[in-house]
Amino acid sequence: MSGRGRLSDVAIVGVGATTQARRLGTTSLHASLEAAKAALADAGLTKDDVDGIAARWPGPGGTVFQPGSADWAGLLGIHVDWIGDSYPQGVPAVLDAAAAIGAGLCETVLITGGQAGVMEAEAGKVAKYTRPANEFVEPYGSFTSTQFALVAQRYLHRFPEARGAMAEVAAAIRNTGSANPEAVMHGRGPYTAQDVLDAPKVVDPFTRLDLCLANEGAAALVLTTVERARACRKAPVVVLGGGMEWMRQQYVDPPRYEEVRTVGAKAARRAFSMCGLGPEDVDAFQLYDVNSYEVLRQFEAIGLCGEGEAGDLVRERGIGVDGGLPTCTDGGVLSFSHIGWGAPTLKIIEGVRQVRGEAGDRQVAGAQVALAAGAGAGAQYHNVVLLGPDR
Amino acid sequence: MSAVDVAERPRPEPSDLTRPFWDAAREHRLVRQVCDDCGRSRFTPQIACPACLSTASTWTPSTGRGTVYSATVVHRAPYPGFTSPYHVVMVDLEEDWTMLSNLVGTGAEPVAIGTAVEVDWLELDDELTLPVFRPVDAGAGR
Repeated sequence: MSGRGRLSDVAIVGVGATTQARRLGTTSLHASLEAAKAALADAGLTKDDVDGIAARWPGPGGTVFQPGSADWAGLLGIHVDWIGDSYPQGVPAVLDAAAAIGAGLCETVLITGGQAGVMEAEAGKVAKYTRPANEFVEPYGSFTSTQFALVAQRYLHRFPEARGAMAEVAAAIRNTGSANPEAVMHGRGPYTAQDVLDAPKVVDPFTRLDLCLANEGAAALVLTTVERARACRKAPVVVLGGGMEWMRQQYVDPPRYEEVRTVGAKAARRAFSMCGLGPEDVDAFQLYDVNSYEVLRQFEAIGLCGEGEAGDLVRERGIGVDGGLPTCTDGGVLSFSHIGWGAPTLKIIEGVRQVRGEAGDRQVAGAQVALAAGAGAGAQYHNVVLLGPDR
Repeated sequence: MSAVDVAERPRPEPSDLTRPFWDAAREHRLVRQVCDDCGRSRFTPQIACPACLSTASTWTPSTGRGTVYSATVVHRAPYPGFTSPYHVVMVDLEEDWTMLSNLVGTGAEPVAIGTAVEVDWLELDDELTLPVFRPVDAGAGR
């Protein structure tokens, strides 16, 4: 590829997050603003440097016309040259923003989002964003984890021994989170695979410990050109490559294992081909660990092993911070934090911290390349980004 | 599933596109769209055939018989209207289409993939009937 419009012309220069907690005594908007200010400070930039925004307006109080990034321009008192409302969090937001910056539509993009003050109303129910409001789904009591479970059940039908590996995955990631002082589940555990299997069942094959959290917090990123990034406060973390795959609307038509088991494979191939790397070059895997099965599936999809082989892979190489395949090094959405629409952005933040070498006790020694991913088989879409240092 | 729970279930809000499905269900007929041009079944409802993009289709009755593609049991209801545990299944119907539904008339464990099932009817109220499935009794000679 020639000189213009490459993702690798763009870098992440700022990351910011609020405290991640079961309940935050504030609103989604306040939390998202706090994260945005932290990300700008991390970059050594101000709001006046921002000329592009990707952020959901976490309402109420938005306009009736597509509340989103344009509302943020008003809140921040700036005019912007680009807004990204299609999926303004996580990997898609990073890739869309990088494409816009690379194409010259804008220079510096702020991404922010999260949730706060909402979980109290959800007490005793699964979080609202996991309850698909569709007439062919909701009357049957299906929810996000159910759709993933229907995929996992097919996988276990073919590879029944993988149930033990799923439990080991959940225990390992939860133990990583247990050691992270910033994690919602800090200090909980350690867990064994047997603890996971013995936990209360939620939806077969998943127990409570196989499934991710639902809590509060916000997360934000700042991206700009590599050229400009070199003058920022921290070393640039370059967007080495990325890819996205969307099969259909999530949580309406139920997922067929044979179809969705490889969702993300093409996105990963695209991402790796952009930078001449392969899955073995990744030092830190910020997979989207919404449940223990998804971690196995994503290792298979990104090409580290074949179908049904991920259980042996994770057992042989280990997925802890000191393992051969360091995975969800902040504790993931299983243990660190899952803040609804903001959760995919937390994956990018941890990838950036690993590449910068500022992850503290959970730093993967010598980490150069981080992979971050979003969503999975039950959602019927998946996206991947690769992050690395400025060379 | 008691009547009290059923009354609290989220109610479908049919659109012009989907209303024929729910109208048929009230009459205990399970229907899906069949493409007038290429003959493929489709579900959930779409304005056009995902195979050939023809917008001409006919709501066509199914035998209501099929097999379980995947099955799970929900042990903790996500919202009111359900008594746990309950079964959520994907059913592959005989005419080559698939539905998400509930399985009734079975035990506490997820049923085996491939289990033969047939449609049954859950009356939510006077206006709304939900197609669900139950295992076909192997001894019934179907």
